[in-house]
Amino acid sequence: MTALRPSVIDAPRVALTKRPWSLYLSIGLLAFLAVAAVAPNLLAPYGPTAIDYDSALQPPSFLHLFGTDESGRDLYSRVIHGTSQSLLIGIGAAFVSLVLAVILGALAALSVKPVAILVDRSVEILFAFPALLLALLLIAITGPSAWTQVFAVGLGTAPGYARMVRGQILAAKNSGYVEAATALGHSRGRILHEHILPNALRPLVAVFALSIGQSIVWASGLSFLGLGVAPPSPEWGALLDAGRAYVTQASWLLLFPGLVIVALALSATSIGRHLQFYLEKGRRT
Amino acid sequence: MSLPRSARLVAPLAIVIAASLAACASPAAGSGEGQRIDGGTIVYAPQQEPACVFGGWIEQAYISYNVLDSLVSLDENSQVVPWLAEKWEESDDGLSWTFTLKDGVGFTDGTPVNAEAVAYNFDYWVTGGNSTARVWLFGYYESAEVVDDLTVRINLSAPYPRLADNLTQGYFGIQSKDALETRSDEDNCSAPIGSGAFIVEEWNRGQNLVLVRNENYTSWPANALHEGPAYVEKVDWRFVADATTRVAALQSSEVDAIYDVPAVQWKTLDDGGYELERYVTAGRPQQLSFNTQIGPFTDERVRQAFAYSLDREQIVETIGQGVIPFEGNGGVSQSTPGYSQAAADRYTYDPEKAAELLDEAGWQLNADGVREKDGETLEVVLPYGAGSIVNADGAAILQGVKEQAEQVGFVVDLIPVPQAELFAGAYSTAEERDIAVGYWTAVTSGILYINWRPSTPESPNYSNQAFYDDEELGQLILDANSAADLDTQNELYQQAQEYIADHALAIGVYARLSTLAVAPNLHDVWQEHAQGGPTFYDAYLTE
Amino acid sequence: MTPTSPSSTPRAIALQVLHKLGTALSVLIGAVTVAFFAQTALPGNRATAILNIRAGQAVQRTPEELAQINQQYGLERPLVVQYLDYLVGALRGDFGHSYQQYRPVAEIIGEQLGATVVLALTAIVIAWILMVVWVTLTAGRGPRVGAIGSLVDVTAAALPAYWLGIILLLVFALGLRLFPVIGGTGPAGLVLPALTLAIPLAGFLAQATRTEFERALDQPFVISARMRGQGDLGVRLGHVLRHAILPAITLTGWALGATLSGAVVVESIFSRPGIGQVLVTAVNSQDLPIVVGIVVLISAFYVLANLLVDIAYTIVDPRLKGAAS
Repeated sequence: MTALRPSVIDAPRVALTKRPWSLYLSIGLLAFLAVAAVAPNLLAPYGPTAIDYDSALQPPSFLHLFGTDESGRDLYSRVIHGTSQSLLIGIGAAFVSLVLAVILGALAALSVKPVAILVDRSVEILFAFPALLLALLLIAITGPSAWTQVFAVGLGTAPGYARMVRGQILAAKNSGYVEAATALGHSRGRILHEHILPNALRPLVAVFALSIGQSIVWASGLSFLGLGVAPPSPEWGALLDAGRAYVTQASWLLLFPGLVIVALALSATSIGRHLQFYLEKGRRT
Repeated sequence: MSLPRSARLVAPLAIVIAASLAACASPAAGSGEGQRIDGGTIVYAPQQEPACVFGGWIEQAYISYNVLDSLVSLDENSQVVPWLAEKWEESDDGLSWTFTLKDGVGFTDGTPVNAEAVAYNFDYWVTGGNSTARVWLFGYYESAEVVDDLTVRINLSAPYPRLADNLTQGYFGIQSKDALETRSDEDNCSAPIGSGAFIVEEWNRGQNLVLVRNENYTSWPANALHEGPAYVEKVDWRFVADATTRVAALQSSEVDAIYDVPAVQWKTLDDGGYELERYVTAGRPQQLSFNTQIGPFTDERVRQAFAYSLDREQIVETIGQGVIPFEGNGGVSQSTPGYSQAAADRYTYDPEKAAELLDEAGWQLNADGVREKDGETLEVVLPYGAGSIVNADGAAILQGVKEQAEQVGFVVDLIPVPQAELFAGAYSTAEERDIAVGYWTAVTSGILYINWRPSTPESPNYSNQAFYDDEELGQLILDANSAADLDTQNELYQQAQEYIADHALAIGVYARLSTLAVAPNLHDVWQEHAQGGPTFYDAYLTE
Repeated sequence: MTPTSPSSTPRAIALQVLHKLGTALSVLIGAVTVAFFAQTALPGNRATAILNIRAGQAVQRTPEELAQINQQYGLERPLVVQYLDYLVGALRGDFGHSYQQYRPVAEIIGEQLGATVVLALTAIVIAWILMVVWVTLTAGRGPRVGAIGSLVDVTAAALPAYWLGIILLLVFALGLRLFPVIGGTGPAGLVLPALTLAIPLAGFLAQATRTEFERALDQPFVISARMRGQGDLGVRLGHVLRHAILPAITLTGWALGATLSGAVVVESIFSRPGIGQVLVTAVNSQDLPIVVGIVVLISAFYVLANLLVDIAYTIVDPRLKGAAS
């Protein structure tokens, strides 16, 4: 939850190439979750809200892999059925965040001075709000829902990316090949299109992967606080929220959804890092 | 696992236990072993922290009951007994009540509790000092007049024989007139001045509220267990929102008593030797009111079909683990005087009947198992105040309601509404919702008047959640309110409940509980009988 | 956030400080503005909300009831007037009165701030200790140890505070009974909440530090120190660490703001008093003066923290120091 903004600004570069197993594992998990999102019925033995009062609060067993909740609903099936919503919220938030970031970042780096300064200051102001507070403000205005969650997380995380985009564009603008192109008399639009944007935006592919994982963690956090999707929705954060009341009797209700969130966040990070590594290698050669 | 069956066996038992616990709340529980500690601090962990000590919310009434004395108190046999008032009398025409106050009682600011102060409080409540006291007095209260220093007369516009019963609720705590007039709103909010057993010492917002013993206490209610100042020196109200944390804190002796015990923890605490107290709140139970003005529920058959589609008893007993009582009556709960069992039993689980009624009403099943009529699906909006009006157990019960109603072809949009939105008026109009959920604690069936009085343009009744403005029902209730003898009154109130049930205007789901779990070394904490709040005046700790 | 290149003349430095202060102030005014207008966009009628919160009933209200509240809080004034009034007040440290508690917001925040600041600072200190120990022990010790080291970093950084907090509570407070379940403000109640915030933060700082640490190990000054016969641990602590922690220092300025907002979650899990608890309660009950006050305050903290980081950076970074003298 903490590792959001700087991880994309100052993404630590760890040597990754020698240990691809973590990459394979991550891709495997994501593939599984992709199936769960698209065709949950292939993987889930029960419906997401199928109540069975006769088997309430049962611990994990072969019949109920992750145990059951207070209404006898199968937790494993609920986690599987909750995948699509959790992933969609995460991907949507990452998308909103990046679109906002590119627009704001580009405006700050490329537009004429008063506009640039204004945008720059605005980003700075937004950045001064911890992301959770921005999200809370937005939720207070619109009320909690999946859409609010997407925009709240997207808006909350955008300023950090915007600063990064601005930095990338400025770096590209001041680089040798742009100077060369300018000297050659290429038009502003052509330079922007052919040189600045491709170079500035390429790292965003990796950032997008990284931020999906983080967005899911954030969005689930909002649901957990009761400010997002609410129970009985099987969205993962909502599952955690619902399980809280039974933590001493049925700790599995908290354990499994949490593990899935952490595993997904790790996978997204791992894939993002590898992408980042390959993209940079590609740029150097 | 055969939980439902065992739960069914437990249910009647639970009611018996409830009754015996109710009895326990009186002196019987006090046979503590061990030496009584003189003084000491009780740490009590309730769930919600109100904004002010005194106000129209039940959480406020619970605190202010320990700080402010009322005119009268309700004993465990639901009899009104003296508190600040020594005696009272209703005039023959029922239009005025004369209360005679105890002599020599003073507020903790040194001013006397006299007729002038009491009269001032009545006017204070109806002009905004307490919104809940206001709706109770609405339509009946005319004026409060000082007869002499210790005699105050309350004038009514119509007879209301249960006035004294209603005045036992915490919303009617008497405050110092001087304090109300001269101190700031802030001071009166955080530390109101009453004549009660405890005084607000400090309030660390977000953490705890400390009450300290009133050493000069002279005005205990007639149903108290002892005389003189309270035994304990301080009561530390420590606000802990999370139920699991409250239970764990009790188990690790960080607190001495907790409020709102989750059903799932009930047995654990019982086995652990904790004293459990359960008060089935009288008044409106947790019920579903149907929107009779707009939408599918304007058709009585559709309302009845919804009621028949639910096995409310099974849902409540599974989720409630035999602790939460099922309540079929949509008007008042089983612990309310004038309760109608017939109204409660009106609808049982009968999906065939539900299907029949829906067919009759023109709602046909489509291929997806959803009912349709003229191209419209049978979709109903059911918002509920999550974490405020409905707790976690209640939310789980509503999820069961949704599941079962959908079996016969309804589509139920179950919408948890956060407190902020709810209080800002979200889902409060007929256009926005089809079903309303909620409870309202009361001492008498007079709550029916608040919930069912027909709206008129001059005097809208926003507490009428079914939007059912019906003269017949309204008149039944009005007659009951003013009926001179108790049997006639109960009979009329019962007719009103049966009317509500017959027309399926509202159906009950479960009775709201006020529960306490108390550590073995704390004795004689009792739940006051008007609303089930904890009373610490008689409580003491042992070694 | 990035250190600006220092100039040599005192006048230039003073100008730079003034510029920074100016930026900080404009950011703060912007924050007040955003927060104020956000609250005006809230759904529903504010006077209705105030009345309902006080009564615990969700119903419509009559015009007479509303008029009284509107008048009391000046809600009927034009928005611009309300805004200017608020802005002027905020600059003087007056954030208005709580709708519910009738008290000045500044006072309410003041009461709760201490506990949260203690929590945030403790968490940062613990995070640094965990991070320094872990990185010093595992960085540059061959591929296998390094792999385990960075796996732990990454995993720790990915743990959401809301989940980690509950697991810690479940194991150490509810299960083993090592810590109180109601945090309170005492030292025993501080351990689990601080750890909940510190563990992900440590993992996160360690990621940044590890890379730098491994890079620094190959630097000439390290080799020369080793040649002078200094022991491995001495070299790591005395020379390498100093170079490796620079990015972590930058991140800490950001972390203070993030930790304060992480406190929202942690305080709710551990029933710990603090502005996080107050904020969640206030958001839930639309007590807007409090919400806005806290939002502005945390932003101010963030701005301040980053000013301090800029200063710390110049002190620690020998290259910058060299350039300045």
